[in-house]
Amino acid sequence: MNETNSVDSRRFITKRLSRRRALMLGAGSLVGPMLGFSASPSRAVVRLDVTQGNIQPMPIAVPDFASVATQDPAAGRNISAIISSNLQRSGFFAPIDPAAFLEKPTVDSTPRFADWRTINAQALVLGRITQTEARVKAEFRLWDVFAGQQLHGQVYTTTAENWRRIGHMISDAVYEKLTGEKGYFDSRVVFVDETGPKERRIKRLALMDQDGANVRYLTRGEDLVLTPRFSSSADTITYMSYGQGDPKVYLMNIETGQREIVSNFPGMSFSPRFSPDSQRVIFSLQNGGNSNLFVMDLRSKATTRLTDTQVIDTAPSYSPDGSYICFESDRGGKQQIYVMAAGGGQAQRISFGDGVYSTPVWSPRGDYIAFTKQFEGKFAIGIMRADGSGERILTEGYHNEGPTWAPNGRVIMFFRDLGGNGGPALYTVDVTGRNEQPVRTPSYASDPSWSPLLQ
Amino acid sequence: MRTAYTISGIGHGAVLLWSIWSLAANPLPLPPHDALPVDLVTSDELSKVTKGIKTAPQSETPKPLAEKVAEAKPVEDPNAKVVEKKEVKAAHETASPPEAKPPDSKPSDKKHAETKIDPIAQELAKEEAKKPEPKKAELKPPAPPKKPAPPAPKFDPKQVEALLDKRDATRMAAAAEVQNNAPSLGLASGEATRLSQNEFDAFRKRLEECWSPPPGVDSTTKLSVVLRVVFKSDGSVARAPDLVQAPASPLGPAMAESAKRAILRCQPFKMLKPEHYDQWKDIEINFDPQYMLRG
Repeated sequence: MNETNSVDSRRFITKRLSRRRALMLGAGSLVGPMLGFSASPSRAVVRLDVTQGNIQPMPIAVPDFASVATQDPAAGRNISAIISSNLQRSGFFAPIDPAAFLEKPTVDSTPRFADWRTINAQALVLGRITQTEARVKAEFRLWDVFAGQQLHGQVYTTTAENWRRIGHMISDAVYEKLTGEKGYFDSRVVFVDETGPKERRIKRLALMDQDGANVRYLTRGEDLVLTPRFSSSADTITYMSYGQGDPKVYLMNIETGQREIVSNFPGMSFSPRFSPDSQRVIFSLQNGGNSNLFVMDLRSKATTRLTDTQVIDTAPSYSPDGSYICFESDRGGKQQIYVMAAGGGQAQRISFGDGVYSTPVWSPRGDYIAFTKQFEGKFAIGIMRADGSGERILTEGYHNEGPTWAPNGRVIMFFRDLGGNGGPALYTVDVTGRNEQPVRTPSYASDPSWSPLLQ
Repeated sequence: MRTAYTISGIGHGAVLLWSIWSLAANPLPLPPHDALPVDLVTSDELSKVTKGIKTAPQSETPKPLAEKVAEAKPVEDPNAKVVEKKEVKAAHETASPPEAKPPDSKPSDKKHAETKIDPIAQELAKEEAKKPEPKKAELKPPAPPKKPAPPAPKFDPKQVEALLDKRDATRMAAAAEVQNNAPSLGLASGEATRLSQNEFDAFRKRLEECWSPPPGVDSTTKLSVVLRVVFKSDGSVARAPDLVQAPASPLGPAMAESAKRAILRCQPFKMLKPEHYDQWKDIEINFDPQYMLRG
């Protein structure tokens, strides 16, 4: 009995101790969180709301790029000039006069930020261009002056004659980093160049960089050409030409200059556009007094009719995902904008303001449709959302027409003909209606079309 | 015995688990925030308030902010005027409304000017009595939870009491060298901003001038960015602002950069007074462009 008892008591003691331990642990674990929770709550940090800002162009410094072994000693300076001018034209940047720079940094060194803060530069672009035989290499760094940090750095290599594209690509990188939006500077514009007296204008298709450089003529001017439009790869355009007889839709390869006729329908074909995948061309075909929309597949050459009305349906434009088209139709009496599924079917009117709406163009971002609006003798370029809401006029005057979107969907180019003895000219305006800028062209210009970003 | 132990063990375990779970379920209570009162002070009021009395004797410079309790010192002559009159008066004036006003907001206004400046607390009440210019309507605040004046042994309360305005005390500031952490009127644990309204507003205005939001923001996307800034006492930032919250949008980084730039460009913020450093040394700033961009 004693044995058992002692054994029991040993067990009992052990158990009791471990129980006690367990109890203490339990108590400890209880007390711990209680202490934690009973500690005074942390002092709330003061909070301030800033709901207004001061939209100002950002002061940015773009010193001349260094030129190393370049054929043209001013190569670096030329690239910086392209960057500055692109950024300035966007309306969001204010490049600082190089005469004000206090430091001459190189792309490899860390700049003395205090020098740049003194002149209130918020961002700094440093770079260098190096040439080896027929190739050039460009390096750049984008610095945030007030934070004292590098925001971006990149190296580009290309053939020497493409050096302007490097400037545009660097501009795009800087723009995107500082604004959050994709850039649009590395792109081209195709337009109708007009020369000669007003009664006998010679119209030629012309191609240029979006900043007005590298102008090249694609046709010789014997035939009247209208409404050129880029494909999504920017190497082909489609346009309308009054060759022999009725106007027809053509395709032209920009590199080779080869042309082909899109379709040989009887009747007049107008306002051609590529689908977003560039496999199809949509256009309007006029027969008798009516004009209807047709789509042709470029490979199979199969043509589909999309509308069958007794009215004028024209100026079609695809949505960026290719599932809808917007077009101009006067089925309701006056020209209005309609949206329809890309395969045809019921069309829905989306323009309801006072006036006549025409030339709708869907933004590459899909959020807006730009259009020309005529009312009370005034011509306006405006945008509205794809459901017709939020209509906003960007510019008004006589005679604005033919909007086309920049690849980032933030800038619109259009042409304006003031009448009189002059001729039309190209302008750009920001999607908020600000920053209207003229576009430099060798002569009068109309019917612009903006390419996607070049690859 | 075994069964007893098992039951006991299970019972203890259950109690522990329950207590941990139920305690853990309580959210950390956030101290409620006071409303920030806003008062318009016309230039007339301000000049009246800062006019002062020509016969006032020269005052001493105010005591510096007390970081710890100092030894009790004799309080200076209760008749002495103080240099901070302007600021204090302005604060006092802003707190005294022409018409009826929610009472609980007043003391917080007054407090902010006085918490760090010890002598004023007592003297102000007397100065009210002394000042000849017409005062605005009487303040009728409910009795605030007064912090008892810390001991100042050499100070004879009776002497002061005779001069004291017999209205209910509207001050809650301590009279001595201790920093006053009294909660504001109306809230048992109030965390009212004791920064001067003027300083806060001036700071916000400066940020608004300096902030250039990136293009492409529109009123439909939620694009607010919250930065936490820690300041040095001279109004410059102690380190780069921390990003507390950013929008899930491709414009987010550009928004955050623009907000940071606004702060870094325009430092030091001289409108934030060193006396109130404790109030503004750590601020969260919410940059929200949605009201800027309509259509």
